[in-house]
Amino acid sequence: MTAGAQRATLVPDQASEDTTIPVLAVLAGSETYGFPLSAVREILMPPPLTEVPRSAKHFLGVIAVRGEIITLVDLPTLLNLEVLDPQPLGRVILVDVGEELIGVAVHRVVQVSQLQPDQIEYASTMSADLSECVLGVARIPSESSGNAEEMVILVDPGALLGGLT
Amino acid sequence: MSDPRDNVQQEFLAEAQELVEALSRDLLLLDEAHQRAELPDSSLINEIFRSVHTLKGIAGMFGYKHVGTIAHALEDLLDDLRLGRTNIGDPLLDVLFDSVERFQRLLALEDPEAPEEAPGVDAYVAAVRSVGTQPEVEDGDPLHHYAIGQAVLSVLTEYEEHRLRACIREGMQLYRLRATFDLTAIDDSIEALRDVVNDDAEIITYLPSLEGGNDESIELVVLLASRVPEPELKAHFEGRYGTVEAIEEQKHLPTTPPNLTSIPPGSQSLLPQPEDEMGQASLRSVANSVRVDIRKLDDLMNVVGELALVRTAVDRAVAELDGDPKHRHSLRELDRLGRGFERQLSELRTRILDVRMVPLGQIFSKFARIVRQAAREHDKQVRLVVTGANTEMDKLIVEELADPMMHLVRNAVDHGIESVETRMRLAKPAEGTLALNAYHKGRNVVIEVEDDGGGMNPQKLRDRAVSRGLLTAEASQDLTRQDMLNLVFLPGLSTNTEVTDLSGRGVGMDVVKTNILRMGGVVSIASEQGIGTKITVTLPITLAIIRALIVTVGARLFALPISAVREAIPFAPQDVRTIQGRKVITIRGETLPICDLARLFGLRGAKQQESRFVIVCEMGNRELGFVVDELVAQEDVITKSLGPTLSSVRGFAGAADLGDQKLALVLDAPALFSEYFEGAEARPSAEARA
Repeated sequence: MTAGAQRATLVPDQASEDTTIPVLAVLAGSETYGFPLSAVREILMPPPLTEVPRSAKHFLGVIAVRGEIITLVDLPTLLNLEVLDPQPLGRVILVDVGEELIGVAVHRVVQVSQLQPDQIEYASTMSADLSECVLGVARIPSESSGNAEEMVILVDPGALLGGLT
Repeated sequence: MSDPRDNVQQEFLAEAQELVEALSRDLLLLDEAHQRAELPDSSLINEIFRSVHTLKGIAGMFGYKHVGTIAHALEDLLDDLRLGRTNIGDPLLDVLFDSVERFQRLLALEDPEAPEEAPGVDAYVAAVRSVGTQPEVEDGDPLHHYAIGQAVLSVLTEYEEHRLRACIREGMQLYRLRATFDLTAIDDSIEALRDVVNDDAEIITYLPSLEGGNDESIELVVLLASRVPEPELKAHFEGRYGTVEAIEEQKHLPTTPPNLTSIPPGSQSLLPQPEDEMGQASLRSVANSVRVDIRKLDDLMNVVGELALVRTAVDRAVAELDGDPKHRHSLRELDRLGRGFERQLSELRTRILDVRMVPLGQIFSKFARIVRQAAREHDKQVRLVVTGANTEMDKLIVEELADPMMHLVRNAVDHGIESVETRMRLAKPAEGTLALNAYHKGRNVVIEVEDDGGGMNPQKLRDRAVSRGLLTAEASQDLTRQDMLNLVFLPGLSTNTEVTDLSGRGVGMDVVKTNILRMGGVVSIASEQGIGTKITVTLPITLAIIRALIVTVGARLFALPISAVREAIPFAPQDVRTIQGRKVITIRGETLPICDLARLFGLRGAKQQESRFVIVCEMGNRELGFVVDELVAQEDVITKSLGPTLSSVRGFAGAADLGDQKLALVLDAPALFSEYFEGAEARPSAEARA
């Protein structure tokens, strides 16, 4: 993302025919989540947030994006995860869930990773009790230290954010 | 989605719909004239013929076979009517009115050639044919009494001849007008002449005289029929157009008039053929308007919103330069430009909103047809009086309004207005009156549906509500007369089969109310037994933009549609009393229930009780005060819906962009009212049971 720009758009790479899956890794709460890049419409600096009283806890509120009202979702609350060290809202990613665009509040965008299928450990093969919104986990090289790896939770945007109330 | 074929199809459907609507409007005028026992206006019949003719043409192009078949049969019938070969009457009008519904249904079909529709279409065509066969008997041809000349008579079309006869029968005097026209502008000039003549006389035909004129101009002899006395007609036309000469009625056989020469075969093309004339008329009428999908206007409105954002961003950039003496001159200039930009932007916004406005007359004409139909079904006589058909509202609202209004109108005729016998017995005029009134009231449009029928019986409504278990007997004791009437809006109060013994409505009134509430409107009812019922619907002029009072509650911004706000008064905590667990205050001797929004929404950080405000709101015939922290401003705001995810959250109609991406939630006053008062109604009955 260009520093200082108010908005940047990540266009999913549709031209390539290789088997890699482009994933946008973002940090929200204490975890790193991976969204299929094809579902991510836009990454925004957070516009002013307006709370909506009486809405469910996982909704942070609404924001205005080019004349449209977008609902902003808090991932850790939605996934019932405890956040040990709350981080400020740094970016909003707009995710296409079919009938509408949903804003996901994140602390920061980590990177775009081209995941090889063998890097992914699919949820179906794991014994841990995971939400059906989680496709699996992947390990990507950490940005900070050379050999360390970081775990990315790969989510299914439609299952996670579609039809929320 | 963007299949060009689809687009063309949409265009066709839109145009066909317009034609059918025009047809429906004109038929009502025709019916009106007929009911007043007036002779049908020939230009009106031509207009109807034209609509049907155009519809036949475009239906053929788009494969709407059934529509084409019906239009074709109607065309024949209307042609007979035009030519006086058949007479107007109720059966003929019924058949014509029936076509409107048929067209609409056929246009809505997925498959425009659906074979299962064929029998119905054939039966209808047979009905059309059967009403159109009553030849008119002529006693002696009046044409022979005039010195018109065989040469002229022989080139008159059948229609022209018919008009000529009709005019003579009506006692009009015939005139011959000689005028010279510029060849290059002849069509326009004749059209202009028609306009001038229209009120005073009728143009039967015009033929070139072959005398006056030169390469650039031509002299025409215009055959006129007129009621206006000769000197007046001469004063009107002579000098401006040419000479006027009366054609005398003669007792002898016609002689060849001296001034009208025979027409060489080559000049036939100058004679107007009805078909051509019609083609031109329909082309002209669509030339200066375009159809626009309303979503495109929404897109435009979003662009305007974006431009406003750009403007704020520029301001911010400019602010960084502020205070630098080097830029003082440029800053002043930028400030001036900025304000100019702002003005244009708001102008643009106003213009776009203006495009969305359409007159309510668009749906009123549909109601006229419904009224006629319902009245005939029940053998009642109903006169529809419409005022304010020009009142404009947002297209979306007008569309949404059609169904609930249709319901109200039908109810008024079906259950409101009494049968002719009953009315006679009650010494009321045999013909009932149904009034549709629309007018602006502040930032709202008010539509009234008023009938002089039997009215509603409030006690019966109450008893019905109790017997249906919608209300406890105890609770029903406390109801005021108005409360009882309002019961009609309760779901499940009455069903289709049971209304008649209820001396009133109730059919789907709950649906009507829900639909109108959803549009941010209110519906209220007034009824006097034996005198009539008036249903009043109050709606915002546009859904897209509303005037709102911006307030804060717990440091958050909220917008309240000003249409619901009556006044804002300082909140005095010491005046708050509690009645049955509800907080109320007294203003000007009246008790007003209040609702603390901070409490209702569970917002922390609200101000202490001092220096807060009560916004007194009014919905229908109820009042409620909302307690807020501060009044911020009054602004025109664009309301956007909250999207599917948050649509189930109660109490908000959407969010409004206050500029600079700052949002205020727009309070849904009707929903908050019903939340508050439905709760209030449930309470006493619960206590009564306990």
